[in-house]
Amino acid sequence: MEDPRWGILIVFYLFFGGLSAGLFFVSALATYLQENGSPAYPRIAQFGALLAPWPVAIGCVLLVFDLGHWYRFYKLFVTVEWHSPMSIGAWLLAGFSLITLAAFWSWLPQGFVAGLVARLPRRLRFLRVIDQPWRERLRRPLAMTGFPFSVGVGIYTGVLLGAVQARPFWNTNLVAQLFLFSALSTGCAALILILSLRGSGLEVGEAKLLYSVDITIIVLELFIVLPYVIHGKLSPLSVQQALELIMGGPYTFHFWGIFFILGLLLPLCLELWEMRPVLLNRSAPHPTRALASVSAILVILGGFVLRYVFVYAGQMSSFE
Amino acid sequence: MRERLGIRAKRYALAIDTRRCIDCQACVVACKAENDVPPGRFRNRVKAETKGEFPYLSASFEPEQCHHCASPSCVRVCPTGASYQRTDGLVLVDGDDCIGCGYCIIACPYDARFFNEQTRIVDKCTMCAHRVDAGRPPACVETCPTRVRTFGDLEAKDGELHVLLATRRSQFKKHESGNGPQIYYLL
Repeated sequence: MEDPRWGILIVFYLFFGGLSAGLFFVSALATYLQENGSPAYPRIAQFGALLAPWPVAIGCVLLVFDLGHWYRFYKLFVTVEWHSPMSIGAWLLAGFSLITLAAFWSWLPQGFVAGLVARLPRRLRFLRVIDQPWRERLRRPLAMTGFPFSVGVGIYTGVLLGAVQARPFWNTNLVAQLFLFSALSTGCAALILILSLRGSGLEVGEAKLLYSVDITIIVLELFIVLPYVIHGKLSPLSVQQALELIMGGPYTFHFWGIFFILGLLLPLCLELWEMRPVLLNRSAPHPTRALASVSAILVILGGFVLRYVFVYAGQMSSFE
Repeated sequence: MRERLGIRAKRYALAIDTRRCIDCQACVVACKAENDVPPGRFRNRVKAETKGEFPYLSASFEPEQCHHCASPSCVRVCPTGASYQRTDGLVLVDGDDCIGCGYCIIACPYDARFFNEQTRIVDKCTMCAHRVDAGRPPACVETCPTRVRTFGDLEAKDGELHVLLATRRSQFKKHESGNGPQIYYLL
């Protein structure tokens, strides 16, 4: 294509959608893991649930304003086109947004809701219904229902690109998984960043959970990126030519320098370093604020640059 | 089902004899005039290539436009059903249902679609469906001074197109994209 139809707004949307999916996934995981009948990682579960609805909400606004006629977005919701990844994605996003909003409400601190309700002006008194004592009991069911939706939103951003056979750079069965794992990783990293900057920083248990999840996901990403490149080199000519965009072409530095080295390998090393007491001596890790925030920022940067490269390079690739 | 019952649907297609093309661009002008295509945008174009050096050189001209594919990826990816295919094979866009997301533009291996800044929706070759339905050939076909283009119904066994494709060899472009293109480039 001469000029890319999808630009930076779509890059941001894919990133924000994935970030929300990752935040919710990790929060739901922390809600699911229990110790003596109460959540084992309450801070992770709560922060994840409180943050999850907002990036995807911003992303959806960007998406709507990228349309030719923004007010026609409702037409996505008067039909189900099962063969269109975008149609499936729109419905997934709607379901995911509702679940994350409900989870947000269920995790609001009791004192905050009570204070809010007490300060309501007379006309808005009907909003008192949000102060329900059974809110907390919804947390686990919402986490369970939200799991498939968060995975769905995370993977669909990759399917959206991968299902286009006209663009050889995208049209491989690895892009969907790459986007999913990158989404979960950015969500995990966002929680590492926020928890390490708040109060006394990451607690030992929290650090163990978040780092274990993130290291696992980053390793899985490595198992996707390398086969993507190797397999692409062994594919028909159009795929080989498309791969040139990141193997000497205009996106080589973005992909290898920023995404692969800064966004994958370096944070993997930093997180393994943080976890080395657990790995070597089976003793408790001592998470440091600086290392935690640097590795988290790098993972988030990598996730963004990955989407940037795929959106722009993909549109440049063709069967010529 | 229709085939099994012996009812033949129409299947419109186009044959292009590139060796007759002289790159006069009359088809491009005719299309823009007929369909009110905005300035700087084109529903069809002529790809010109030259090779060699004087005195041993050659030029080739290949008209390009929507191939009205048999299994069009643009129709498959459309999230609202605005992109659709008629039973006679023509791939069209319903202007009222198009939200302008651009997914079909990206999904077309021929880059045949574009975003119309005036209407704010996707625009493409309609094979002049309004003319075809009235029994007339598309504007580009009618205007071509060297008779490069032959438009017709593949199911009409005694039609000019059918005879041409039965007696001349032809090839498709980017057949490997899997879309089943329906512009026959004569060899």
